[in-house]
Amino acid sequence: MKDRTIWKVFVFFILVIAVFAAAAVESVRGINRDAAGSDWVNHTHAVILENEGLRSDLFIADGAAHTFVSTGDDRDRRSCTEALSDVADHLEILAALTRVEPEQKEQVAKVATLVNHRSDFLRTLLTMRRSGDSAALRQMLADDAGQPELKEIQRAINTLKDDELGLLTERDKASFLQAQSTRWTVWSGVVLDILLLAGAAWLIRDDIAARGRAAAVLTEANEGLESRVRERTAELASANDKLRSENLERGWTNQGLEHQLRYNHLIINSINDLVFVLTKATNISRVNPAVVRLMGREAHELIHVPFLSVVRLVHVGLAPMLDPVAQAMNDGRDLRDQPAFVTDKLDRVTAVRMSLFPLRDRDKIVGAVVILQVAQPIESGNP
Amino acid sequence: MPKHILIVDDEAVIRELLESYLVQNGYRVTAAPSAHEAETVAGRDKPDLVITDLQLEDSDGLEMVARLKALLPDTPMILLTGVLFDSKVVREVLNKKVSAYIEKTAPLSRILEEIQRLTGK
Repeated sequence: MKDRTIWKVFVFFILVIAVFAAAAVESVRGINRDAAGSDWVNHTHAVILENEGLRSDLFIADGAAHTFVSTGDDRDRRSCTEALSDVADHLEILAALTRVEPEQKEQVAKVATLVNHRSDFLRTLLTMRRSGDSAALRQMLADDAGQPELKEIQRAINTLKDDELGLLTERDKASFLQAQSTRWTVWSGVVLDILLLAGAAWLIRDDIAARGRAAAVLTEANEGLESRVRERTAELASANDKLRSENLERGWTNQGLEHQLRYNHLIINSINDLVFVLTKATNISRVNPAVVRLMGREAHELIHVPFLSVVRLVHVGLAPMLDPVAQAMNDGRDLRDQPAFVTDKLDRVTAVRMSLFPLRDRDKIVGAVVILQVAQPIESGNP
Repeated sequence: MPKHILIVDDEAVIRELLESYLVQNGYRVTAAPSAHEAETVAGRDKPDLVITDLQLEDSDGLEMVARLKALLPDTPMILLTGVLFDSKVVREVLNKKVSAYIEKTAPLSRILEEIQRLTGK
């Protein structure tokens, strides 16, 4: 989107520059044409002025010649001669001014022919007046009665003037149309440039608005993303806290059990009486340190050994048919304070008082705890 | 401002586990391994609640509680012990000496509930 907009704006500005350049070129061309037209107008006015000057000086010369003919005053003759000289100058200038314009050149040539003829006539008048040839003079004046030649010159000069004025009028019209055309070109260029610039401005504004919308969408997306990240982070932190709590809880439970077990062992091991734990089959599964001390045997030597192989009950009368320890366990009843003997590793015998307590796990008897209290040691041999 | 909990136990594992759990739940915790150090801490930085074991290396937890009561009469104290008492002993003896009795076999969440109840947080 960005590149396309820049490209469009670039094209717009190229068009603006092209239109501006075209208007400028057209304006310069108009100015050049105006300048050229102005030169032509000046030139035409010069032709008209010279034409009028020719007419005026010719009439002056004509008047002065006729006056000289009447008065014979030499001042009139000089005035005529000077006027004729000016007439010649005018003709020369007119010829020069119209040398590149065939129609005017032809008209000027016609005027020049007539004027030169008239000038020759006037000079002849002057010459005859000075020579005193009155008859010839009168004849010439008579031939010139009504001055038809002068009238013809007048018409030729007027024609030239009218033609020049006509050209000026056409030139004015053309100049006006040219100026209008230039104005239209310039104003059209200005309007077109304004429209193009407005188009470029609209494109830029549209692009900025699109960028703004895109930025807003991006911001919204970022906010959404940040929100989701925050939520996810909070969830992870919560899960982490929960996991840590569970780990701590598990560790706490384990240490509690361990502590309890250790504490129970500590209690049992601290008892000075002999403590045996028996299985349901009356084998020894555990003894306390007091047993090890009294019997001189390590605990592992006693484990899984039948209880009655290390402790003998004292029977009053006949020996019972059944093992009283197994019987008590089967019945789930205690045996309290029964006399018995313990034989140690060195065959020394110790009299003890035995108590048995069945171990109940819920509603089942799973073994028994036997406690032996030392009555008195017997040095050796059987009692 | 987080509540300040003073833990007194001679077993490092117990102190560490309890401290981690309570810190995670927003409490400021000081752990002491002996009654003597606990009393020093209590004098310097008054706790909002004391949790103590019964059997300490240099004293009896209940005796320490009695001494701390003189220093901190309004501070609740919890006896946290592995020695199991029956309910009658708890009701008639321990509840008169401490604010609460909790066995060490109780879960941490139960201990936390009791702390929240006693500290109001």
